[in-house]
Amino acid sequence: MGSMYRASKTLKSSRQAAFSLLFNSVKPNRRDPLCVVGLHQAYGFSSDSKQNSREPPAIDLTQFPSEKIRNFSIIAHIDHGKSTLADRLMELTGTIKKGHGQPQYLDKLQVERERGITVKAQTATMFYENKVKDQDPSGFLLNLIDTPGHVDFSYEVSRSLSACQGALLVVDAAQGVQAQTVANFYLAFEANLTIVPVINKIDQPTADPDRVKAQLKSMFDLDTDEVLLVSAKTGLGLEHVLPAVIERIPPPPGISDSPLRMLLFDSFFNEYKGVVCYVSVVDGMLRKGDKVSFAATNQSYEVLDVGIMHPELTSTGMLLTGQVGYIVTGMRTTKEARIGDTIFRTKTTVVPLPGFKPVRHMVFSGVYPADGSDFEALTHAIEKLTCNDASVSVAKETSAALGMGFRCGFLGLLHMDVFHQRLEQEYGTQVISTIPTVPYTFEYSDGSKLQVQNPAALPSNPKYRVTASWEPTVIATIILPSEYVGAVINLCSDRRGQQLEYTFIDAQRVFLKYQLPLREIVVDFYDELKSITSGYASFDYEDAEYQKSDLVKLDILLNGQAVDALATIVHNQKAYRVGKELVEKLKNFIERQMFEVMIQAAIGSKIIARDTISAMRKNVLAKCYGGDITRKKKLLEKQKEGKKRMKRVGSVDIPHEAFQQILKVS
Amino acid sequence: MLRTTSSPIFSSFRGRPKTPRLIFKAFSVLLEDSPPSARRNASTNLTTLHQGPPTSAYVHLPFCRKRCHYCDFPILALGSSSVSNAPYEERQEEDDPRITNYVNLLVREINATRTCFDTNPNLKTVFFGGGTPSLVPPKLVSLVLETLSSRFGLCPDAEISMEMDPGTFGGEKLKELMGLGVNRVSLGVQAFQDELLKACGRAHGVSEVYEAIEIVKACGVENWSMDLISSLPHQTLEMWEESLRLAIESQPSHVSVYDLQVEQGTKFGNVYTPGQSPLPSETQSAEFYKTASSMLRGAGYEHYEVSSYSKEGFKCKHNLIYWKNKPFYAFGLGSASYVGGLRFSRPRRLKEYTKYVADLENGAANWCGDGNVDLKDVATDIIMLSFRTSKGLELKEFGEAFGRKVVKSICKVYEPYVESGHIVCLDDMRKEVMSDEFKKLVGNDEKKIEDHVRYLRLRDPDGFLLSNELISLAFGVISP
Ligand SMILES: Nc1nc2c(ncn2[C@@H]2O[C@H](COP(=O)(O)OP(=O)(O)OP(=O)(O)O)[C@@H](O)[C@H]2O)c(=O)[nH]1
Ligand SMILES: C[S@@+](CC[C@H](N)C(=O)[O-])C[C@H]1O[C@@H](n2cnc3c(N)ncnc32)[C@H](O)[C@@H]1O
Ligand SMILES: [Mg+2]
Repeated sequence: MGSMYRASKTLKSSRQAAFSLLFNSVKPNRRDPLCVVGLHQAYGFSSDSKQNSREPPAIDLTQFPSEKIRNFSIIAHIDHGKSTLADRLMELTGTIKKGHGQPQYLDKLQVERERGITVKAQTATMFYENKVKDQDPSGFLLNLIDTPGHVDFSYEVSRSLSACQGALLVVDAAQGVQAQTVANFYLAFEANLTIVPVINKIDQPTADPDRVKAQLKSMFDLDTDEVLLVSAKTGLGLEHVLPAVIERIPPPPGISDSPLRMLLFDSFFNEYKGVVCYVSVVDGMLRKGDKVSFAATNQSYEVLDVGIMHPELTSTGMLLTGQVGYIVTGMRTTKEARIGDTIFRTKTTVVPLPGFKPVRHMVFSGVYPADGSDFEALTHAIEKLTCNDASVSVAKETSAALGMGFRCGFLGLLHMDVFHQRLEQEYGTQVISTIPTVPYTFEYSDGSKLQVQNPAALPSNPKYRVTASWEPTVIATIILPSEYVGAVINLCSDRRGQQLEYTFIDAQRVFLKYQLPLREIVVDFYDELKSITSGYASFDYEDAEYQKSDLVKLDILLNGQAVDALATIVHNQKAYRVGKELVEKLKNFIERQMFEVMIQAAIGSKIIARDTISAMRKNVLAKCYGGDITRKKKLLEKQKEGKKRMKRVGSVDIPHEAFQQILKVS
Repeated sequence: MLRTTSSPIFSSFRGRPKTPRLIFKAFSVLLEDSPPSARRNASTNLTTLHQGPPTSAYVHLPFCRKRCHYCDFPILALGSSSVSNAPYEERQEEDDPRITNYVNLLVREINATRTCFDTNPNLKTVFFGGGTPSLVPPKLVSLVLETLSSRFGLCPDAEISMEMDPGTFGGEKLKELMGLGVNRVSLGVQAFQDELLKACGRAHGVSEVYEAIEIVKACGVENWSMDLISSLPHQTLEMWEESLRLAIESQPSHVSVYDLQVEQGTKFGNVYTPGQSPLPSETQSAEFYKTASSMLRGAGYEHYEVSSYSKEGFKCKHNLIYWKNKPFYAFGLGSASYVGGLRFSRPRRLKEYTKYVADLENGAANWCGDGNVDLKDVATDIIMLSFRTSKGLELKEFGEAFGRKVVKSICKVYEPYVESGHIVCLDDMRKEVMSDEFKKLVGNDEKKIEDHVRYLRLRDPDGFLLSNELISLAFGVISP
C-alpha cells in the first residue's frame, strides 16, 4: 500500500515551528517594504485613513475591470513548494498576516495537514498595487489557485486551469523537472495558458538553477531569460513574481456587456451557508438577488450571497467579468451543482461553456461498515463526504461476507486512502475496504458484454464462454537518473508495459514513456520504482484506452466456500503467482481457529494454490487461584472484543485488515 | 465490566441502598422473555446466590523462603539465610516478627469484618493459601482459626486445607496442624526432576518432595493433593510422563495440574516467550495437557475441573464454591472475596493492606456488596466458572435465571462446536445428545430445547484445551 503513504510528509510540525520562529519577530502591521498593498483602494478607504478601527467596508469590485484582473494557478510536481509560495504571495499582498495561521494556509483539511500534501485546489483573491518605474501605481485583483501535485488529483488541476489565463509552473531547483512537472505543463499548455516558469527553493545548498533552466528550455522550449528564481522559504526573489504575473498573463477575455455566463468549477458544503459554488465569471456581471439557472440541471435559484475568497468567504454583493468568487443559492445538496456546468441569468439564452470531460475512476473498492449494524451511519457519512468530494462515485452493493456496503470509484489509491481517512476523521466511521480493482470489460460467446467494477460480480462459472476481455491502460511518464534505466525497463516489462519513448533530458536524466495496464501500476508500482531507483525516479500517468487482454477471475475459498470480498481479476499469465501469494498472505493474516482452515485459490473450478492453517491447539488459562477470577475474566472479555474485529465467513473468522492488506499482491 | 476494586470502597456501612436498581435494569436487557415469577423466586435462583452469607473463607499466608521464577502472587520472601539447613523444628520462623505482625494484622482484619446478613452460618471450608502457609508457626495458625471460629463459627466437619511446600515442615509440625483442625494438605511439588525444580527457582529438590510425601502419609492425612506444573522450560514429554507416573504412585487423593502461565514481571516473563524454546511449543504443551488427562483418568482420578483431578469423594469442597459462583470471604494480603455480589481484591502491598485493615476497623472501608449486581456480570461469571467444570453449564437453571432466549442463543453459537466435538451436550440423565439431534433441537423453540438439553460442557481434553476460545463465544452472546 506504499503508494498511499508515499505522499505523506512527516516534517510538517518541524516546518511549522521553523516558520513561526521566523515570522514572530515581524510586527504584524509593518508592511514589507517590497510591496505596497493597495488595500485602501479596494476597500474604498480614503488614502489618508491609516488606521481604521471600523469594520472594513464592503469590497468594491467595480474598481477592477477585466484589464485589472489576473487569474492564475500554481502548478508543480508534488512537494516543489506550491502551497508555500501561495503563503508568501498572500502575505505579500496582506491577504493573510505574516506569522499568523499555519504554513500552507490553504491546506485546510486535516488529511492535508497530517500528510503535508494538497488534496483539494483552493482559490484566494488578492489585491495588489503594481508599481512600475515612472508610472502611477495601479491596483490589481489577482486570483490565485493552489493545486495538488499528486497524480491522483490532476483532475483538480485541469479544473483549476479552466478558470485561469496563466499558470506559475514551479520547479524545485535541486530536483529539477519531474514527472508531474511534465504532466502539469502539458495540461496548462493544452489549455492555452501563459506559463510563468518559477524555479523555487534556490536557497537549498544543492540548488542548481542553471541546470533546471536548461531542462525547461529543452523540454518545454521555455525562454531561460523569463525564468524567475525564488525561494518561497526565505522570500528571496519573491518581489518579481506578481509583476511578472501582471505583465505576462493576459487579463480574462470575457465581454462585460454580454449576458452573464459563469463556469461552475467547484462546490462544497458549508454548515452555515449550505452549498457554496465556486464560479468564474466569463461574461457579464452578477449581483446579489439575481436569478440564475444551471444549464445541466435546468434548475433556477436566487443568488442569496456572492463574494470572493479573501482568503475566507467575503461578501462583495457582486462579481464582474473575469472575476473568480463564490455564490450561495439555497441549493440543498452539492449534487445539484455539477462541476463544469454553465450558470446564466434566468430567461436569457447563452451558448454553454465547454465544461470538463467527466472524471474517470481508476480504481474501485468496496466500502463496508466495520460493524455490520452501522450501515446507516456509513450511508450518512458517505453522503456528506461526497458533497465535498464529488470525484468519488458511489453505488450500493451487497457482499455475502461483509453485508451491505458501497462500491466506490476513486481517482487513484491515494484518493481512496484520503477518502477512508476523511470518513474516519470527519465522520467517525470505521470501515472495511476490499481489495481495489480497476474496471474491466468481458465479452461472452452470445455477444453480451459485462462491465466489471467488482470482481465478485463476474460469474466464476459463466453460462457462456468468455470470448474476450479488456482492461484499462495508462500512459506513464517516468523521469529518472540514467544509471537506473536498466532496472526500470525490467520493471516495466514485468508489468506488461510497452515502451513508447526513451529520451535524455540532459546528460544525467532520462525520460521514459510507457503504456501499461492500469492494474499493474495501481498498487505497488511506485513503491517498487522508488526502491529500485533509490527514490530518484518520479512517475506520473494519464489514462489511455482499453486494451484486449487475457483476464481471469481468481476466487479465494475458505474451507471450500468462496469469499466474494476476496475475489480478484488477474491476467492469466500471472494467475498462479498471484494465487500463491494471496494464499500465503491470507495464511499470515488469519489466526489459528478451532478448526483447520483450508485456503484455496481457484480459477473457475480449478484449484491453483492451497494451504492450510492448522487448528488452534490450546487456549486455556489453567490458573484461577484463590477464587480470584477477575483477571481471567478480563482476558476473556478482551478475547470476546477481539472477535468483533473479525468478520465471520462460514466458520472462519477473518480480521478486518485482511480484506485490504492483501491487496499488496502484484 | 466487573465490579471489582483493588482499593477499598469508602462508603458508609449501614446506609447501603436497598433499591435493586441494577437488577431490574439488567433484567430488562437480558430477560425479556422470562415470566416475572422467575425473577422474584429468589430462594434458589442463580441470580440471587450471591446474596446469602458465605460459608467459605480463603486465608492468605504470604510468606515464602524465596520467590519462584514463575510466581506473581502477592508474597513476602523471608530470605533463606536464617533457614539454612537446620531441621524444620529448630528454625526461626517461630519468632520472626514479620510473621507475627502479619498474623496479628490478619486477625484484626477478621475481627473488623462486619457483615450485613441476618444469619451467620458456620464456615464449612477454610483454605490457607499462599505464599507458603506451612512456614507459619502452628501457634499462629491456631490464632487465625480461633478468630475465624469466634467470628463466624466453624463446622466441626469443616474442610480445612493448607498449602504446604516440601522442605518446610516435619511430622511434628504437621501433627500439630492436624490437631488444630487442618484436614487437607495441598503439597506444592510442581515437578519430579531436580533440574526443573532448580530452573523454577524452587527452594527444594526432589528428595524433599519424597520426604514430604512420606510425612504426609505417616501422619495419616487421607485427603491430600499434589500440585504439578506442565510446560516448564526444558520440560520434555518424557519428564512430564515421569512426573505424572511418580505422582500417581504416591497416591494423593487429589491432583492439580497447572499449565505454566508466563506472567509479566516474573523472571520467566522477562526471559521466556510462550510457545518458544526452551518452553514447549503450543502443540507440545497441548500434548502435555492431554497426557495428564489420560494418565490421571487411567489411574482412577476424575477430571472434574480444567486443572483438578480427584479420587472419588475427594473433590476440593472449597474450590467447588468458586466454580459454583457462591460467595466466599477472603482475608489477608491481596486476597479476593465475593460477598454480597461484590468481588473485591485486597491491596497486594503490605503497607496498603495495613492501612486497609485500619480503615476497616474505623468503618471507612467496606468490601461487602449491597446485593445489587449487573446481571450480565453474573451470567458471564457463571458461564466462565461452570465451563471449567466437568459438570458444565446447567441450562435449565440458567434459563430460569437469565431467560430461555439466551440459552437458545448460546446453543446456536455452540452448534458447530457440538458438531466438531469440542462441546458435549447432555440430557437430564447426563446422557450425551448427539450432534445431529442437537442441531434439530436448536432449530426448535425454546421450550423444546429446555426439555431435551440440560447441560453443555467442554469435552475433556479437546474442549477444555480451548476453553478460552469457547467461553468467550458465549460471552459474546451475553454482551454482544
Ligand atoms: N528549502 C526550501 N524549502 C521549501 C521552499 N518552498 C517550500 N519548501 C518546503 O518544501 C516542502 C513542500 O512544500 P509545499 O508547499 O507543501 O509543496 P506543494 O508543492 O504544495 O506540495 P503538494 O501540494 O503536496 O504537491 C515543505 O517542507 C516546504 O517547507 C523553499 O523555497 N526552500
Ligand atoms: C499459590 S501457589 C502455591 C505456593 C506454594 N508455596 C507452592 O509453591 O506450592 C499454588 C499453585 O499454583 C501453581 N502456580 C503458581 N504460579 C504459577 C504459574 N505462573 N503458572 C502455573 N501455575 C502456577 C503452582 O502449582 C502452585 O503450587
Ligand atoms: Mg500543496
